[in-house]
Amino acid sequence: MKDTKTEIRFFSIPEWKKEESYLREQHKNGWEFISLSGLCVYRFKRCEPKDVVYQLDYNPDSLAKKNEYVQMFRDCGWEYLQNYAGYSYFRKAVSEMDGSEEEIFCEDASRLDMMKRVFSGRMIPLLVTFFLVIIPQIIMQGRIDDPASQSLMVFFCIMFVIYLGLFIAFAVPFWKYYRSVHNNRR
Amino acid sequence: MTETGFYILLCLREEAHGYSIVKKTEQLTQGEIKISPGTLYGSLSKMEKDGLIQFIREEENRKIYCITKLGTQVLDLEMKRIERLYRSMQEAK
Repeated sequence: MKDTKTEIRFFSIPEWKKEESYLREQHKNGWEFISLSGLCVYRFKRCEPKDVVYQLDYNPDSLAKKNEYVQMFRDCGWEYLQNYAGYSYFRKAVSEMDGSEEEIFCEDASRLDMMKRVFSGRMIPLLVTFFLVIIPQIIMQGRIDDPASQSLMVFFCIMFVIYLGLFIAFAVPFWKYYRSVHNNRR
Repeated sequence: MTETGFYILLCLREEAHGYSIVKKTEQLTQGEIKISPGTLYGSLSKMEKDGLIQFIREEENRKIYCITKLGTQVLDLEMKRIERLYRSMQEAK
């Protein structure tokens, strides 16, 4: 029986909650997360099944002051695992939390702040590509009448749909958080 | 002001680092409020940028902060607001 395994999983930009539960599920099934590298390659090693909460933070500013950033999480009992594409990975066993389940954010306002950081760090480059490359290409290729342009046109139309899906997948939870935070404010 | 923001200002009337704010808040609230590190890190950076708190020195990778004059004014206003809320609550009973 092998003691390590590798899985390739793709989580799109707004899906960090899904990724967190994926890692937690793996640990519950006796697979402890070791690393994430390359193109979404997750490595695990066999372990005692345990309920461990995994959390992701996106805070590119913190990379410059990594020591104090990691120290603050460590003080609060969170183990720092690694950085991947601007995301920091943390975990803490449920048995080490007293009673209630902990998260690295305890307020909607700071959950919303993280979404804003993801938006400016990851979504703005996509929006720029969308409006400055994909849409102009669809318009341009649509005007030229030869097979090469037609296949390019199909390619960019597919990209159009993928990007649109990403924007919607990001906008819906963002909007929900945004509303809940604003309703809580006086 | 968020609850975390209020407790940070309250604790930083004396010099302190992040984790000691978490501990002190837990004591003050009998364990009811446990500030999480992600929220704490974000709030401290933001409040420092806004001039409510200032960085004093670093000890073993832990930044030590203290409240500023502006922070004290903001905290006083917030305390008065909460006192007023509390008084109204008592009177409405």
